[in-house]
Amino acid sequence: MIVPARQFGTLIGLLALCAILWILTPHFMTVSNLLNVAEQTSINAIVAVGMTFVILSGGIDLSVGSIVALSGVVLGTSLQAGHSLAVAIPLSLTVGLLCGFANGALVSWGGLPPFIVTLGTMSIARGAALLFTEGRPVSGFDPSFRVLATGRFGFIPAPVIETTVVYAAAHFVLARTTFGRYVYAIGGNEEATRLSGVSVRFHKTMIYGVSGLMSAIAAVILTARLNSAQPIAGMMYELDAIAATVIGGTSLMGGDGTLAGTLVGALIMGVLRNGLNLLGVSSFLQQIVIGAVIVVAVLIDTVLKRKNRT
Amino acid sequence: MADGPPILEMRGIRKAFPGVVALDGVDLTLEAGAVHMLLGENGAGKSTLMKILSGAYTKDAGEIRVNGRAAEIRSPRDALALGIRVIYQELNLVPQLSVAENIFLGEAPVRWGGVVDWPLLYERTSRLLTDLGMPLDPRAIVSRLGLAQRQMVEIAKALSGSAVDEAAAGGAAAVLVMDEPTSSLTSREVTQLFALIQRLAARGVAIVYITHRLDEVFRIGHRITVMRDGRVVATRPIQDVTIPELVRMMANRDLADHFPKVAVERGAELLRVENVGGGPLSGITFSLHAGEVLGIAGLLGAGRTELARVVAGADRCQEGRLVVQGREVRFRDPEDAIAHGIGLLPEDRKAQGLVPGLTVARNIALPHGRRLARFGVLSRQCETAMANPIAADLRVKATPTQPVRLLSGGNQQKVVLGKWLAGDVRIFIFDEPTRGVDVGAKVEIYNLMNRLTARGAGIIMISSELPELLGMSDRILVMHRGRLHAEIAAADATEERVLSAALGLAPSTSSGQAHSTGSGQAH
Repeated sequence: MIVPARQFGTLIGLLALCAILWILTPHFMTVSNLLNVAEQTSINAIVAVGMTFVILSGGIDLSVGSIVALSGVVLGTSLQAGHSLAVAIPLSLTVGLLCGFANGALVSWGGLPPFIVTLGTMSIARGAALLFTEGRPVSGFDPSFRVLATGRFGFIPAPVIETTVVYAAAHFVLARTTFGRYVYAIGGNEEATRLSGVSVRFHKTMIYGVSGLMSAIAAVILTARLNSAQPIAGMMYELDAIAATVIGGTSLMGGDGTLAGTLVGALIMGVLRNGLNLLGVSSFLQQIVIGAVIVVAVLIDTVLKRKNRT
Repeated sequence: MADGPPILEMRGIRKAFPGVVALDGVDLTLEAGAVHMLLGENGAGKSTLMKILSGAYTKDAGEIRVNGRAAEIRSPRDALALGIRVIYQELNLVPQLSVAENIFLGEAPVRWGGVVDWPLLYERTSRLLTDLGMPLDPRAIVSRLGLAQRQMVEIAKALSGSAVDEAAAGGAAAVLVMDEPTSSLTSREVTQLFALIQRLAARGVAIVYITHRLDEVFRIGHRITVMRDGRVVATRPIQDVTIPELVRMMANRDLADHFPKVAVERGAELLRVENVGGGPLSGITFSLHAGEVLGIAGLLGAGRTELARVVAGADRCQEGRLVVQGREVRFRDPEDAIAHGIGLLPEDRKAQGLVPGLTVARNIALPHGRRLARFGVLSRQCETAMANPIAADLRVKATPTQPVRLLSGGNQQKVVLGKWLAGDVRIFIFDEPTRGVDVGAKVEIYNLMNRLTARGAGIIMISSELPELLGMSDRILVMHRGRLHAEIAAADATEERVLSAALGLAPSTSSGQAHSTGSGQAH
């Protein structure tokens, strides 16, 4: 099979990147820095799970960043209003899920292009978050909530554990359930899947729902980490998530890719940011480097794929 | 018509695709100023021949001579340089642009290094249109034009200045190939188009005209070539042929008797289609019984696939009703049809039948996800237990864990068939089941059909291959322009009868009258 071989390539890329940074700076290869990278990566990695589902099915979701913001301010406001975690967190996850369902329903039943639908939602959810908070951040939460981001199990930061759990669950869904199978089938050939009696519309709605839910989970961790829910949070998250997904070898055409690849893709982004910071590279130059890495990674992937096909 | 060498000669052209010989030593000679009609049933090789002429395909053997000199056509560019123009059924115009912009797309006159010289563009266009006798406004937007007018734009584009004149000056041909140009035109538009073709011929253009409409042959043709099974049956001057003769030439009499048909006693009615219409279909009524193979014949565009999709729930049934095993049904999507035991083998297996990246086993299991899962979790054991025996039974030459994209056409088709063998499907709709399939796999598919009917299933088989229809069907329905034109029992079916009906001729006239008004008057 081709897929594992390609993931392996991405993994080699990650290891090579780490090796280079190890040589260039003594601060990179330390336990505390690596844990720091993992923690920093967790938000993008979780958002990218949803993005992977959507891209595997042949779609795209531009609204994830705005959904992070909206779910976050709903969570923050609810906590400030004195609701318990058991109320506030499910409420915030529901908001994310509903935004996703709305995207999915418009794509599948409305027959609109995913790009347009999620572009609209991107603006609507952002606007809703700003309106809801009158543009002000909601700050200051109970430590029992903040522990979701700041806590440690032994020496491992809580967000790393949470990300691991999310990936394990999502991988199970994608690899072992009918829903996961249909994600690949819809992306591989939507018409053939429909003619096989699969309710494509229903499953597409669910797929965007997964993406919304993942954004909301990321929002919970982000809010806990920042001790603040900000309506302008999550800007450009969609681009990072798309980048992690495609660097991880998922085809933008749909039907081909894995979550393991996406995780490696997210780590490459995280390691690169961290390394460039350690090296003292200016943030302007960082953007150029990251952009170039995305293009080169996908270029290599495309060339490898072309070779494999023939 | 000039003496000397013909404008274009094709000799001994051969082209093979994996498993099929599409052209087997074809000769075709085109004379300047003549309209050469090219006839043959679907799959006879007409389109392949024209694709070789246009450079879309390269020939395996044979030679092409232009004005007596050998010519190599390796790419569409070569064909263009030789002055060969092909107008396909689906037009290639940019609908948002004007007539003039389309005609000179990519070749518009410019000045000041890149600014379009609009006055000159319009002037050239109107000169060209007047010259061709086309009553078109160069400034008109193509999307607002009727089909016939768009076709004229396409022809004008093909014949526009730089193209033909330069080619002719360089000793090349002026050849215009038209593939069923009238298939979507009204009779008035057809008259306009024919007048244009006659003017072009009078100017010395050699025209190849592919058609299924026999009346057209006699209206504008000078010579006619009939193809069958990748060979030329005959080339004659038009005055030497009659319609019945043409039908006989197109039909295949030496029936390949390699069809392992096993007749099964006809059982209860499985499916009744009553007055189904909508879209291209109208008033279609028939029934399918257990143990029966019901063949559906018809030309491309006759509505066969549309009918199959309605019955399989892929498209909504707009008019009429469907009755499955005595109960009226309404299908919202294929899921509903499958629940009623109807499985569709779609006409285009790559686009509609398979998920190319999924494995053989997973494609076979795709329609059965719900049955193979508990609380949404797929059981891999159940999946392999279901799919692997089917793959083995169908002799799919691949391991069940191979992605189907790597399989040959025949094996891919077996996988699509396999999707319906695990469930409770009793009504099979096979749309072109053996298209692009090698001979060995064909026979296996026929044997499978026998096994299915023996089990009490009913099969609707749509096919463009007459021998297959005659060889495997118990009854044949013939469609023509969205309607059922004839029903022929297997015992009475001959290729000539089926073909006549498919061409829209009354079935009884297939061998009687020398002269027929044919389909031309049908609309």
